[in-house]
Amino acid sequence: MQRSSFCYVAGTPVLETQGLTKHYTLGQETVRALDRVDFTAVQGDFAVVNGPSGSGKTTLLNMLALIDRPSEGEVLFEGRPTRRLSEGELALLRREKIGLVFQTFNLIPVLSVAENVEYPLLLTKTPRGERRGRVAARLEEVGLSGFEKRRPDELSGGQRQRVAVARALVTAPRIVLADEPTANLDSATGRQIMELLQGLNRDHCVTFLVVTHDPSVLDYAQRVLTIRDGRIQGEEKRGAPRPA
Amino acid sequence: MARLALRNLSRNRRRTLLSAGIVALGCALSLVVLGFVERSRALIQETTVQQFGNLQIADPKLLDGKAEGFEYLVSPAVRAQVEGLVRPERGVVGTTAQLSLSGLLAVRRTTAVVRAVGVVPENDVLDYNDLVVTGRGLRADDVGTVLVGQTLADELGLRPGDFVNLTATTVAGAFNVSPLEVVGLFRFSSAEVERAQVFVPLAFAQLLLATDGVDRIVVRLDRLGRTWAAARAIGARLAAAQLPLEVRTWDVLSPFYRGLSGFFDLLFGFLVAAVFILVFFIVLQILTLSFLERTREVGTIRALGTRRGEVFGLFVEESLWLGLAGGGIGVVAGVGISLLFNAAGIPWQPPGTVQAVTLGVDFTAPVILIPFGVSVISTVASAFLPAYQATRVSVVDALRAV
Ligand SMILES: Nc1ncnc2c1ncn2[C@@H]1O[C@H](COP(=O)(O)OP(=O)(O)O)[C@@H](O)[C@H]1O
Ligand SMILES: [Mg+2]
Repeated sequence: MQRSSFCYVAGTPVLETQGLTKHYTLGQETVRALDRVDFTAVQGDFAVVNGPSGSGKTTLLNMLALIDRPSEGEVLFEGRPTRRLSEGELALLRREKIGLVFQTFNLIPVLSVAENVEYPLLLTKTPRGERRGRVAARLEEVGLSGFEKRRPDELSGGQRQRVAVARALVTAPRIVLADEPTANLDSATGRQIMELLQGLNRDHCVTFLVVTHDPSVLDYAQRVLTIRDGRIQGEEKRGAPRPA
Repeated sequence: MARLALRNLSRNRRRTLLSAGIVALGCALSLVVLGFVERSRALIQETTVQQFGNLQIADPKLLDGKAEGFEYLVSPAVRAQVEGLVRPERGVVGTTAQLSLSGLLAVRRTTAVVRAVGVVPENDVLDYNDLVVTGRGLRADDVGTVLVGQTLADELGLRPGDFVNLTATTVAGAFNVSPLEVVGLFRFSSAEVERAQVFVPLAFAQLLLATDGVDRIVVRLDRLGRTWAAARAIGARLAAAQLPLEVRTWDVLSPFYRGLSGFFDLLFGFLVAAVFILVFFIVLQILTLSFLERTREVGTIRALGTRRGEVFGLFVEESLWLGLAGGGIGVVAGVGISLLFNAAGIPWQPPGTVQAVTLGVDFTAPVILIPFGVSVISTVASAFLPAYQATRVSVVDALRAV
């Protein structure tokens, strides 16, 4: 990847939240899924948000991914507030600058591996030749060269998640957000996926934010944030410093 | 994106085949019916032109049935002038003149009110000799002869060789009566014409009315399609020559054709509407289900940055391919069925007519394009609502859907 140059700006904020709060109203009751969360993800980060089921991880990730809107507070993307952006403007931001990895892979079953990876490039209207090159490069990085023509249902869970990672990376986003990327994989495969993400972070300076309740994921983090009942409880730095 | 829309059709092959099949069925059905209606219309057009010629030129008072006396008669000089104006028009085969009168046809003690049409015998524009089934037609040197319809002949017990008396009022208002020899019996597609209309030589009609005028000039064209352009051109020339005459086309002259053609349009319109409302609702059901099943995928692609409008477009495009496929299959099937139908050559006698015709299906461009177009449009239309609904779900809710 030609992206190593990005590490020169390591430390600049990519995503930042200010007093981020989300509540859901269920009949008479109000559930506070997120409560005044202040958090910053910087360029080159490998942050993991850890917490038990129901603690608000997905809610937080959805708001960082700009697919959900906060009840209160603000999400800043590259320093710019997003609250006032329209649906269409948010979609454009997502397609160009945010990569997403889901717990359930969420590949499009009727498209081949290569076509799934290519999809975000169609949204950004990338020229055909460039699309080909980028798709091939990302598939090679995730170790799936030769699988281009396969359909998702012909792949194992680990392979599917690799395709999803390649898809998330193909537009060279500023940040990749992953919601429980290992939850649907056995532990060995889960580790392989985390190693893949770690390698991409270390070698290509891809910024990652992973939310999970899986403790084994923490081994790969530079920063671990603990979330409970919608509040960030604390943060632990884990060094694992990148080679400068 | 077109690729994704097309691939989505392969998702559930049985369902896609079912929807395409329903669209195809609707398309084929309306194609056959429309082709059938067109053939029937063409048959009726032919008989109408046989009866009226392509164009008639006459005083509007006569054509509108508002004449009180014989003020509409066209003198020999004007007739010659009109013929001179008509002849240079492209596609004109020839002209002839007619003089009709109302009279009382008497045989022994029985009488019948008839409309006697005075025609130039053996003219090559519009004579009715080819309708004669018994006896002979009118001849150029005939004067006191008449062709009687089979229906009237049966009622009055007439045969060729019998004599009848025709009574009428002359132009001056006097009674006039003359004997006529029945030389032939004719049949016509309309029983009404067979009962109430007789044909006499023009010279006889002029003699009976004591005039040298005619009441209309009939124009024959080489092609039906030229009718309206020719009518406009000739009408303009008549107006320029300040003649108080109008041109009427065969379709306007025949109230029967106008009524039937309108009825055909209504029938076909109704049938097509019914078929496609049905197709619309069935395909709507199928697409609603099919789009709903993909809610999570919609959530995924929207999370990746696909806009609402793009998702809508994707679904509508999918339905467009479905409509094109269904319509295409429908056209092929419809043409196939029609060819079989035409090969079978089924005879049919329409009500109110005396001659059987061979049923068939015509393929003109509209016969194929209208059902095809309507198939595609109704399929796409049925995608609008479910596609819109699919884009209304929030990304987060869509991602959570199973
Ligand atoms: N759409 C919703 N409506 C109501 N409550 C919700 C909704 N989404 C999440 N919640 C609630 O918010 C809390 C946090 O949920 P979530 O962010 O999914 O947690 P996690 O991903 O950590 O398991 C939970 O109590 C959950 O029940
Ligand atoms: Mg969750």
